[in-house]
Order: sequence, then structure tokens, then C-alpha cells
Amino acid sequence: MLSEKMGRRKFMRHISSAFLGVVGSHFWSGLPLADAEKKPVLEYRILGKTGLKVTAVSMGVMNCSDPAVLLRAFDLGINFYDTADCYMRGRNEEMVGKAFEGKRQKVFIQTKVHAHEEKKMRASVERSLRRLRTDYIDVLVWHNLSSPEEVSDPKLFEFMSKMKKEGKVRFVGFSAHSRMASLLREAVKSNLHDVALVSYNFTHSKDMKEAVAIAAKSEIGIVAMKTQAGGYKREKMGGLSPHQAALKYVLMDQNVGCAVPGVTTIEQIEECAAVMGTSFSKKNLDELKQYQSFLQGRICTMCGGCIGACPFGVPRSDLLRVVMYHEGYENDSLVRESLQKVSREDIQRCSECPSCSIACRRGLDMKAQIQLAKQILS
Amino acid sequence: MRYKKFLLFVFAWVFIWASGSEGAAPIESLIPKRDLPREWTLIHGPQTYNKKTLFEHINGQAELYLKYGFRQSVFAIYQDKKKAENQIEVDIYDMGNVVQAFGVFSRFRNEDRPGGFGLDSYLDDHSALFYKGQHFVLFYATESNPDILKLFGKLLSSRISDSTPPPKEISFFPKHGLKPGSIQYFPEGLLGHQFLKRGFQGTYVDGEKEHHLFLAIFKDSQEAANALKAYKEDLSKKGKVLSGGSIPFEARALKGEDPYQGKVITLQKGFFLLGAVGFQNDDDAENRLKEFSEKVK
Repeated sequence: MLSEKMGRRKFMRHISSAFLGVVGSHFWSGLPLADAEKKPVLEYRILGKTGLKVTAVSMGVMNCSDPAVLLRAFDLGINFYDTADCYMRGRNEEMVGKAFEGKRQKVFIQTKVHAHEEKKMRASVERSLRRLRTDYIDVLVWHNLSSPEEVSDPKLFEFMSKMKKEGKVRFVGFSAHSRMASLLREAVKSNLHDVALVSYNFTHSKDMKEAVAIAAKSEIGIVAMKTQAGGYKREKMGGLSPHQAALKYVLMDQNVGCAVPGVTTIEQIEECAAVMGTSFSKKNLDELKQYQSFLQGRICTMCGGCIGACPFGVPRSDLLRVVMYHEGYENDSLVRESLQKVSREDIQRCSECPSCSIACRRGLDMKAQIQLAKQILS
Repeated sequence: MRYKKFLLFVFAWVFIWASGSEGAAPIESLIPKRDLPREWTLIHGPQTYNKKTLFEHINGQAELYLKYGFRQSVFAIYQDKKKAENQIEVDIYDMGNVVQAFGVFSRFRNEDRPGGFGLDSYLDDHSALFYKGQHFVLFYATESNPDILKLFGKLLSSRISDSTPPPKEISFFPKHGLKPGSIQYFPEGLLGHQFLKRGFQGTYVDGEKEHHLFLAIFKDSQEAANALKAYKEDLSKKGKVLSGGSIPFEARALKGEDPYQGKVITLQKGFFLLGAVGFQNDDDAENRLKEFSEKVK
């Protein structure tokens, strides 16, 4: 745990400054099996002005592969589920509707609508209600707003008000994947939204954290998505499994109403649920630091920003491409294809070279990359 | 003899070169600009996306594509010259291989309404989708327009020259009782279980009840055996492991009750685990599984 000397404020500052910037790709890693017999300690929070008492760890359904995962989440006590009209062309909503038939009063469902003319939006809401097998949606959010003008668009709000009046929707909000801090600030000004579904994780800036705090103060319920910041398969991260740490980091912020990590399996939702009632430790901080460095500098992104050239003419980009296809894309056929372009001699020469004259402006460790290429070739 | 060998060598290289050059063709070249259905014209694109930029185009849904091995995509919009609001959007996704292309297709198709293009397709009033080779193609029409969607479907399908057949695993599923268009491919989390990893699942209809057959695919037989063991442990913790009711056609098998899937029988065949879940009648399930097992090669 934290030493007294470090103090909470310093600790928070430390974390904020440590994790500015990068958001990685959005794969979930392989996770260890959670102990099925352990029931999580449920932690409830009030979702802003909606007054809904939601579980701090809730569920993003988008990538869920089977209704069994939803049923397991329900059994674990998770009560808030995020889906969308467009996920798998409506099949995702259908899965939610089927899984929670007969349990509707015990769960809160959030789904989405895209901004169109009223006729189309109404049809979309009606389709969602049919697929979800319900006569009301707990939270309906505008999907992916990207400008402050959209957030305070009175026409959109007029439609949402109608949906509320007609009893089809209880609460409304918006979702955003970019420019989130400015959109949250605009939402505070416009005072039209009950909920904001925003991407929020340990890689985000202090500005975002402040915007979340301002929005929460105005009683906008913050639903955090993309909480895990992506990642690669566990075995490729040297056994590191930072996902509980990433989730804890988000929930440590009491301005967050709930987090909706996207899960695909029973084991993943069990691991996420187990985060409730636990605190963020020094070990978690170390895990996130490692995770951050993994996301930042492990793989060449072919940005073209290499500095210097190899005096022996080794085609470094081909070597780096092999690593990228292997570690990043995990595509064996591309690896084979790329390996045809490099010779064992090149790799040998590279790995034996005492000082590589090429540098990466992103801080990628060139020598480590060559070693990886050598391993792949062998 | 030497001459024949040389010829074979040359043919092999020509074949490899031809396949390689086809794969290397830029994805935007699949978007037709001429010879379009009458009165239709390209008004936007081709706009390409990669793994990093796909989010800009389809937001969070990009995650699903990435799970299925997405490599790149191209987007375009066509318009009816006579009626500007009548538009068709098209996305072509390069999913890396035919299994992954089928996988995405299978997750997006919500019933069996074939349109007659690609290796398999779906067509309704406002949308059409199909897969062919490593490509998954999705159309969306702003106005109800199934006829034009069909024309575009056929046109794009003809431009994808990849002749890779559908995933062979689809043919393993017994036809009798199979709900049309129900076979799906999951790149992970088959039946919601991490340990089952990737595989196929098909739905069978018995009267009003439905159950599933599944085929989990592993790297080798040891990995399959480990998964069977994990399933047994999982059932013993959360459900039931049943004895008796022997399955005569395989030694490595498991019977039990999954709390979320219902009754389950699964057996190992080489690097596969195949099984039935959610069935009512044990005999029927075992017979269907036997037929399934015989087809799995």
C-alpha cells in the first residue's frame, strides 16, 4: 500500500503525470480464471441526476459472445448494461433482450440512437424496444457526438424530451469517443443531459479528469467506457495482467458513476466484478506503469520517424515489420511473407552489432526489437 | 525428368506470384467507379481505414472487427442521380482470411435471407452483406432499395477475384434440424468461456426448442485436452458433472449441466472439442453429436 510519506494527493498527481497520452488498440487480453465461488462485494453508486443505484462495475455488452456472459454478470449482481442499436446490426440488443426477459425490473439498460431526422430516430427507438423486449429504455444516449454544438443541439433534445414524455425512455445522455473534455464542459453548460458515456482510463489527461469532476458536480452521471485501454495477450506482456488495475484506477475516481468494461467471456466479467470493494495498491500502480510502457514503445508503428541509418545496409524496416506482424497483428501469414525479405545474416549482423546507429523518436528499443525478430525467425 | 521438374517449379512460382499480386492489390481498387447500375454514381470515397483509424469511421464497433483480425477497409457512397437523398453506403473490410470474414458476416446476419452473391449473403430492404475470400462487405441504403442493393452486391462480388472456398468447418455441421443461417464463428470466448477459445456454433431446432452444436478449435490435441479438463472443472464448480449415459463413440468426453447453457455433452477429437448444449433429449443429442463427430476431420 501507499506509504504515509507519499500521501494521497502526491500519489494522485504521480499517477496523472505518469499516464498521459497513449491509447492502445482495443483487444482484451487473455485473463486468468476468476474463482467462481467468490461473490464480489457489490459497490453501488448513484448515477448522477438519474438517481439510479448502479453497480460500480457494470458491463459493456458490445463484444459479448454469448448470453451466458450476461446471465453470469446478472448472477454476480451487476445491474447496468450498455448496448447499442447498431452493434451487430441489432443482434446485440436482441441478446440483451432475450437474456433479461423476466428480469427486466432488476436491470438497467442503456442503449443508443444516432442523430437523424425525427422519423428515423423514432423508428430506431421502436426497434430497440422490440429487440430489448421491453417497453422502456433506462438510458438512451446519442451515439458518438463529436462537437459542442451537437451536445447542446435543441432539436436533438426536443426529440429526447418527447421520448421521455411518451414513457419510452427514462433518462437521456450522449456518448463521445473524442474531444470528451470539451463535450463534458458543454454538457454542463447546456444542462440537457442526465448521463455521459465517455472513454476514460489511466492514459487520459488531467484535463479529462477535471472535466469528469465538473460534469459529476453538475450531476451528470458519468459512465466510463474503454476503461482497460486495450492491450495485448497476457503471455505477450510477460505475464502482466493489468486489467483489474486499469479498472480500479477508473473507479478510484468517485466522480465516475460506473464503468462498463467491454467483456466477451464469463471469466472476464468475473475478474472485473472482483474489482469492486478493493482498493488501488502500489502493485496496481506498478502494473499500470508497465502496461503504459508496453503500449507506448513495444512495437514499431511504421511511422517513418527513424533517426539515422544502418552502415551495413540492413533493412531495419523489414525486421521491424516482422515484429509488428507477429506481436501486434498476430498474423502468421504476414510474418512469413515478411520473413522472406530478410536474411538470417541480416538479423545476425544486427544482433551482434555493438551499437545500433538507428534511433526511434518514440523511444522504441531497437536492440530489443532485433532480438524479438531473431526469436521469431528461430 | 529435369525439364518437367523445372516446369513444375516455374508453374509454382507463377502461381505464388499471381496469388501474391492479387493480395497486394489496393483495397480501394475494389470500389467500382464505372459500369455502375444505371443512374447511380460514386459521390464519396474511396476512403480507406486501417487498424488505427477504423475507430474514426465506425466508433466503438471497431473493436469487434479488430477481434476478427481486421486489416484494412474502404468506404464509399453511391447516389441516385435522379434522387439525391437515395444513397448507398458501402464498406469493404479485409479480414485477413476467409474464416474471419465469415465470422464477422455470421455475427451481423440476423436471419437467413440470402441475396445470391458472395460465398454467402444477406439482403433486406435497407441493407445487404456478404463475404467472399478474406473480404466482408456491408451495404446500407438510405431508402428502401433491395433491387439496387442486389445489383451492387453482385457487382462487388464479381470484383473480388479470390476463389477461396467457405470455411470447411461449416460443412461439418449436420444438416438435419440446422436452423438456416445460424452457424457463427467466434474468434474467442466460444459459449462465453475463455477456455473454449475460438470456434463455430450452429443452432438446431427441435419443435419449439433450440439447442446448439459447437466446434472448438485448438492449436493441438494437448490444448484441446486441457480445455476439456477446464470445462470439467468449471462444471463441477458451477454446474454438474454427470456420470453414466456413456458416449460410445469417443473416450475423451464429458457430460454435465452448465448453469447457463443447460445440458452439455462434449468430446475431444484430435485438436477439436465438439459438443451439444441446451438440448432436452439425451438420445437425440448424442445421435446428432455422433453424426457431427463423423464429419469432423
